[in-house]
Amino acid sequence: MLIKILLILAVVLLILLFLRHHGKSNTAAGVKIGFAVFMVFGVVAVLLPNAVSEVANFVGVGRGTDLLLYGLVVAFGFATINTFLRFKELELRYAKLVRAVALQNSTVPEEKAPEPSDA
Amino acid sequence: MAEWSDVWLVVPVYNEAQVIGDVVRHARQTFPNIVCVDDGSADASAERIHEAGAHLVRHPVNLGQGAAIQTGVSYAKSRPGAKYFVTFDADGQHQVDDVVRMLKRLQAEELDIVVGTRFLAGADTSHIPWIKRLVLKTVVMLSPRTRRLGLTDAHNGLRVFNRTVADTLNITINGMGHASEFVELIDHHHWKVAEESVTILYTEYSMAKGQSLINGVNIVFDSVMRTGSRR
Repeated sequence: MLIKILLILAVVLLILLFLRHHGKSNTAAGVKIGFAVFMVFGVVAVLLPNAVSEVANFVGVGRGTDLLLYGLVVAFGFATINTFLRFKELELRYAKLVRAVALQNSTVPEEKAPEPSDA
Repeated sequence: MAEWSDVWLVVPVYNEAQVIGDVVRHARQTFPNIVCVDDGSADASAERIHEAGAHLVRHPVNLGQGAAIQTGVSYAKSRPGAKYFVTFDADGQHQVDDVVRMLKRLQAEELDIVVGTRFLAGADTSHIPWIKRLVLKTVVMLSPRTRRLGLTDAHNGLRVFNRTVADTLNITINGMGHASEFVELIDHHHWKVAEESVTILYTEYSMAKGQSLINGVNIVFDSVMRTGSRR
């Protein structure tokens, strides 16, 4: 069935996105395109529910609702990973900021030389 | 002693007020230059560090040990005359004598980095809790990179390295996973590395404070994530 191939392809894409996320601007653009497509799809699905069912039948899913569910799962996966990567990036920037602040406020010990120790 | 005036000890500190003062005072008998990075401690760690006579850099918020080490190294290499750098734990697990031996080896063999190990062939490991031994050995076995470099202890906090390493060092894993990142950096930059057998003192305090084994899951996850990102 076509849907199986499509779903597996989606999962593979997810994993690839997860593991190799260089070119951050590309991913951001991809998300926007995905969102636009999703909105168009939403309008079409509302206006022509039968069309969704036909597409579902075409890819080998019983009902349009099921197709919608599968699509939602995949979209959710993408969204989660996207958020995760975004957080990672923010964390790194945050660390750099904290480091800069910390280095600016460093305290040098009072006595210049270490006290002559007994050991 | 002026002997080690070109050496900087980098000590990441998080809520170690109980012991950090003594650890710093003891280390300062040998090493005049110590920078403690207080990683947003909620207790009196900062005061104890200052009293003990170490340089103090404070993270306004808690970031994790990896981030603290990076901050400490950044600070140390900006100090005049800094040539050698040591990462040293705050909980008193590490021995100053081991550091001296590692430094001498680094200088004598012109290495870039010497890392401590608990598992060199023939070393007595009976003082290490068996579960810890098992986990640490498994980590090494699962990491092809660690084996290729001939390292036997991937998660030893005691490291001695030179200016070359300090200048390129860029730890991006804030948390405990930075140990694997160190190994990866050694491999990536082809730093000359050697291992030196060290003794880790497992006191009751350090056992309670030390990282729990379940945290290993986080470390593995961080490491897997790193495999994808580009430098």
